Amino acid sequence: MSQKLPNYLKTYRKRAGLSQADVAYLLGVRSGTKVSRYERFSRLPNLETALAFEALYHMPVADLFAGLADDTARATLRRARLLERRLLSRTKNPRLVRKLAALHELVAVGDEEVQYEPLPRP
Amino acid sequence: MTRRPSTARRILAIDPHSRGFGFVVLEGPDRLVDWGLRDARHGTDADLLAKVTDLVTLYRPSLLVAEDCTYRSSRRRQHGRRVIRKILALACTRGVRTRSVSAVTVRTKFAAQGATTKHAIAGLIVARFPELAPHRPRFRKPWMSEDERQAIFDAAALALTLSLKSPTSMGAHRSNHR
Repeated sequence: MSQKLPNYLKTYRKRAGLSQADVAYLLGVRSGTKVSRYERFSRLPNLETALAFEALYHMPVADLFAGLADDTARATLRRARLLERRLLSRTKNPRLVRKLAALHELVAVGDEEVQYEPLPRP
Repeated sequence: MTRRPSTARRILAIDPHSRGFGFVVLEGPDRLVDWGLRDARHGTDADLLAKVTDLVTLYRPSLLVAEDCTYRSSRRRQHGRRVIRKILALACTRGVRTRSVSAVTVRTKFAAQGATTKHAIAGLIVARFPELAPHRPRFRKPWMSEDERQAIFDAAALALTLSLKSPTSMGAHRSNHR
C-alpha cells in the first residue's frame, strides 16, 4: 500500500478556505456529508466528481488522489509484467512483437519512476 | 505511471490545552496536510483520546510528536502532563513511533531564526504555511488568557522542530521507538 494518503481533498479544501457545504454546492450534491465521506476515505467519488475536484482545486486528479493513483499504478504494472511474461512464451508474430514492445516500455518506465515533487504552494 | 510513494514521513503533532488539543499533520517540512483544534472541554480524557485515535486512524502517521513534559523547565500542569502521557501511550499501542520535544528545544530552534516569542514563532509558521494565517491569534497582552488556537501553532512548532534539519534540532528527546 502507498505511504501517501488515499486523497488530499481535505488539504486542498482547507487551503482554499472552503467549507464542506461550499464544496458540496460547487459539486452539485445535496449536502457536505458526501464531501466528508470522500475526505475521510470512506467513499470513492465517481469520475465526474473527481474531475470536478480537479477543476475546483486546480490540481491533477493523480495529485489529489495520490495514494490511490500510486496503488492503481502499481497494480497495473504488476499485471503488465505478468502479461509480458505470459506473452513471451507464445510464438512470435508482428502483432505480438508490437504488443511486447509496448508492454516492455510500460514496465521499463514503471521501474524508473521518479519521486513525488512537493506540492506547489497555492 | 511516473511516480512512486514519497519517502517523506507523516508526522502528527499534538498540543493539548485545558479545553482540548490542537494538531497538525505534516509530510516533510513543506507539506501541511491537515491542522485544527479538537474540543474536549465537556468530556473526559477518554473523549479526548478517542479524538486522537480518530486522527491516528485517518492519517496513519509514522511519528507522533508531543511536548516533553518531563523536561525540568516544562510549565505543563498536572492535567496536561497526564493527557500527554496518555496520548503517547495510545500511540505506542497503535504501533506509532513517538517523540517528545521539549519547549526549550523548540525555542532554541526558532530563536536561531530570530523568533523568541510564541507570537513570533507563529509568524514564522504562517510565513511557511500561509493557510494557517486565519488561525493566528492576535498578540497576547499580559492580562489576556492564551487563545486556544495557539495550540495549532505550538503543535506545528513541535513538528517543524523535528522536520527541519539543522544542528539545533538535535536536542529533541527520543522517548521510545518501535
